[in-house]
Amino acid sequence: MPSTIPLPELGLALSPNSRGYAKKLIYAAVGIVTAFSLIPLIYLLIRAGEKSVTEILTLLLREKTLTVIVTTATLVFAVTLINLIVGVAMACGLHFVRLPVRRFLIIPVVLPLAIPSYVFTYTWIALVPSLSGLLAGIFILSLTTMPYLVLATMAGLRRIDGAQIEMAQSLGLSKAAIFFRVVLPQIRGHVSAGALLTGLYIISDFGAVYLLKVETLTVLIQNIYRSSYDRGAAAVISILLILLSLFFVFADEKFRSKNEHERVVRLNPIKSALIRKKSFIAAVISAIAIYSFLSVAIPLYVLFSRFYANRVSIEWSNLASASTSTILVSAMGAGLALLLSIPLGFLVIERESLLSKTSQRIMLASHALPGVIIGLALVSLGSKISFLYQTTFLLAIAYVLLFLAKSIATIRTSLTRIPTGVKEVAATLGMNQWAMLRKVIFPIAAPSIGLGTILVFLTAMKELPATLMLRPTGFDTLATHVWSSAAINRFNEAAPYALTLVIIAAVPTFFISRPDKADRAFINDEMRS
Amino acid sequence: MKKKVLFVLSLGLIAGVLSGCSSNDDQAQDVSEITIYSGRSEEYFTPFTEWEEKTGIKVNIRYGDSAELAAQILEEGTNSPADLFLSQDAGSLGAISQAGLFATLPDDIGVDIPSKFIAEDRSWIGVTGRTRVFAYNPVKVSVLPQSVTNLTQAKYRNQVGIAPSNASFQAFISGLINAKGEAAAQKWLNDMKANGVKIYPKNSAIVEAIDKGEISIGLVNHYYVWEVTESLGREINAKIGFFAPGDIGNMVNVSGIGSLASSAKQSAAQDFINFLTTAAVQKEFVSQSFEYSLLPDAIPPVGLLTLEAVGAPAVDLASLKDVQRTQDLLVKVGLL
Repeated sequence: MPSTIPLPELGLALSPNSRGYAKKLIYAAVGIVTAFSLIPLIYLLIRAGEKSVTEILTLLLREKTLTVIVTTATLVFAVTLINLIVGVAMACGLHFVRLPVRRFLIIPVVLPLAIPSYVFTYTWIALVPSLSGLLAGIFILSLTTMPYLVLATMAGLRRIDGAQIEMAQSLGLSKAAIFFRVVLPQIRGHVSAGALLTGLYIISDFGAVYLLKVETLTVLIQNIYRSSYDRGAAAVISILLILLSLFFVFADEKFRSKNEHERVVRLNPIKSALIRKKSFIAAVISAIAIYSFLSVAIPLYVLFSRFYANRVSIEWSNLASASTSTILVSAMGAGLALLLSIPLGFLVIERESLLSKTSQRIMLASHALPGVIIGLALVSLGSKISFLYQTTFLLAIAYVLLFLAKSIATIRTSLTRIPTGVKEVAATLGMNQWAMLRKVIFPIAAPSIGLGTILVFLTAMKELPATLMLRPTGFDTLATHVWSSAAINRFNEAAPYALTLVIIAAVPTFFISRPDKADRAFINDEMRS
Repeated sequence: MKKKVLFVLSLGLIAGVLSGCSSNDDQAQDVSEITIYSGRSEEYFTPFTEWEEKTGIKVNIRYGDSAELAAQILEEGTNSPADLFLSQDAGSLGAISQAGLFATLPDDIGVDIPSKFIAEDRSWIGVTGRTRVFAYNPVKVSVLPQSVTNLTQAKYRNQVGIAPSNASFQAFISGLINAKGEAAAQKWLNDMKANGVKIYPKNSAIVEAIDKGEISIGLVNHYYVWEVTESLGREINAKIGFFAPGDIGNMVNVSGIGSLASSAKQSAAQDFINFLTTAAVQKEFVSQSFEYSLLPDAIPPVGLLTLEAVGAPAVDLASLKDVQRTQDLLVKVGLL
């Protein structure tokens, strides 16, 4: 298929031969990755094809389906909107206001990422048993997904030149004017990527909405399996879910500014432009305090009190082996995702072509599929390949299919912003393609590549439904341990595993919250080259 | 520096790929191991190790949710690595049976289990039983209801708890529809609603609510009073009660097991099924996980009536597979 797509022009002065060769290699790799990410989609089409057109129409047009679509859409839009406002505001506060121990204040805002949504929701229900319904869903999911937008926005804010802000201030612009005219245009891409990840995450979430009795598409899919074992009907609903997620993918494409470019000069620190007003400082600190009380203190309090109430002695060997398995298989998934997102990254650097756009859309849309569907798609295919089936490798592949979008969304944002001018200059200096990658592109992209990989690792650690289906028989992760105790209401016994999971996940989360280091490294590299 | 990190990462990846590929391979013809998909939780008593010691055959157990494991077996089809499917409910067994993926069990398997707990086509056999009961606060309820239909009376106003999203409750409603027809079931649900029935997310929450005094009576499975007592680690303010013998409120559901037709290890699989139905093992189920033995003259869990005395109503367990109609009804009356 690559041959049918017009080759984009390279902005590089390379010899025609090596250009063609490298390009073919990249296309082949992207083709493989795309085909790979098509697996769940093909599976769904086959299953849905087992239904007649009338059956599909009755299923889609019944009142229940329509109500569920409305509920899902309301939930997704409400949470995304709340996070767009609160998340961006919180990120700006953390970035522009002169806070004491600023670097450490970021940590509690990002830490909720380390808590699986089903554990998070469970702890809240333990405290407020009446918590259920759409409003509760909006509340809980806003809390759990907030870090996506805060992180994405802060990544964008760090690329803004302090001198620009000072200039705007000296021209007498109000704070609001500076935000809308100077800041916002420069962070649009990052904010949009954060909103995209938030939206797709909510569409695919099962644990929180199930516990809160909000009937979304994922709950409907699960109910269809539970109540009638009708895989065709579940596939039809899953396709509906992909269509909803495509809306977010296209909205993101529209919203992202095409003219954003990475600044390659040394950035002036924001320091002298920092807001020092006491009222601002107090507002930001109380916002962070409230947020971390609701989404860190409360879950941890419930987990610890369950942990101390647990009268059954902890089996340390089980805990240790589950921790090792969790880290190992999630790292495999993250490594594979890193490897597979690289060819697509190359294609993005060249220029956005139809191929790179389509591949990205497919990967992003499949990101909204719930774990059960990815699990069953790989069960269907994998059980025919007995040497692969129920191996840790296939489980890692499932994590890639589930979470590749996270690394792609983050890598893409930084790569598309590299101006072609830089590449041209590098080429005229006589750099070949690999040297340019090593010395120019990789240093610019490294922080986002790291962030994307850590995000995949982090979410893979918490994954449950696909893990249950695809793990090798007898292979336990921390998440499966939590599930097996919680499934029969022994929450106290689940507590040690849930706490270990949160503590292990907190380590990469801590690294995510301190990318300043990576930024400095980037600037240093720039200075050297 | 960053290049090094990348290099190490990819090395780790390749190592992972290689180790992953070599892990799962059983082509051995002699039966040295057997794979069981188990919808029964790891924490419930199941005598896997005892059977391993008896036969010398290693048991690989894959734990999961019964319905999800059933969906998985349906996807795997004849390629399933499973030899046996042990399910927590009859519905999931029915789905596999309907797809024709179970082998027909010979007549000498599970001979002591009453035929009402065995699939008509002998595709699966019941292993343990659980009854629907009511849990109640003995201080508040002195005269016990004789039938679930009594619960719509004024004296139970705002005092009854149910868990409509729970699979066991839905199975009970399916039984109710089968026994009395959909119209009667709908009327009962509407009357319950009009009588201020309280909704809980699951059985254990109902028992906890009775203990706390929020409600005085609730429809649950028999083992939840025991489970909540265990998890709270103290005596609780809730007891188990049965309706009059034969009332649909005492419906009995089973956990059961079948051997996959695609398995080449039928005799080992059948031996395992037989082992589960022996008197000694059945006794363990009763004492260790508070379940009912299905054997006719078995001793019931401590403090409960025997299955005979419960007078389980006649319900075709295979019919519990289609919960769709039940869920549609619950949605219609606004309980789901």
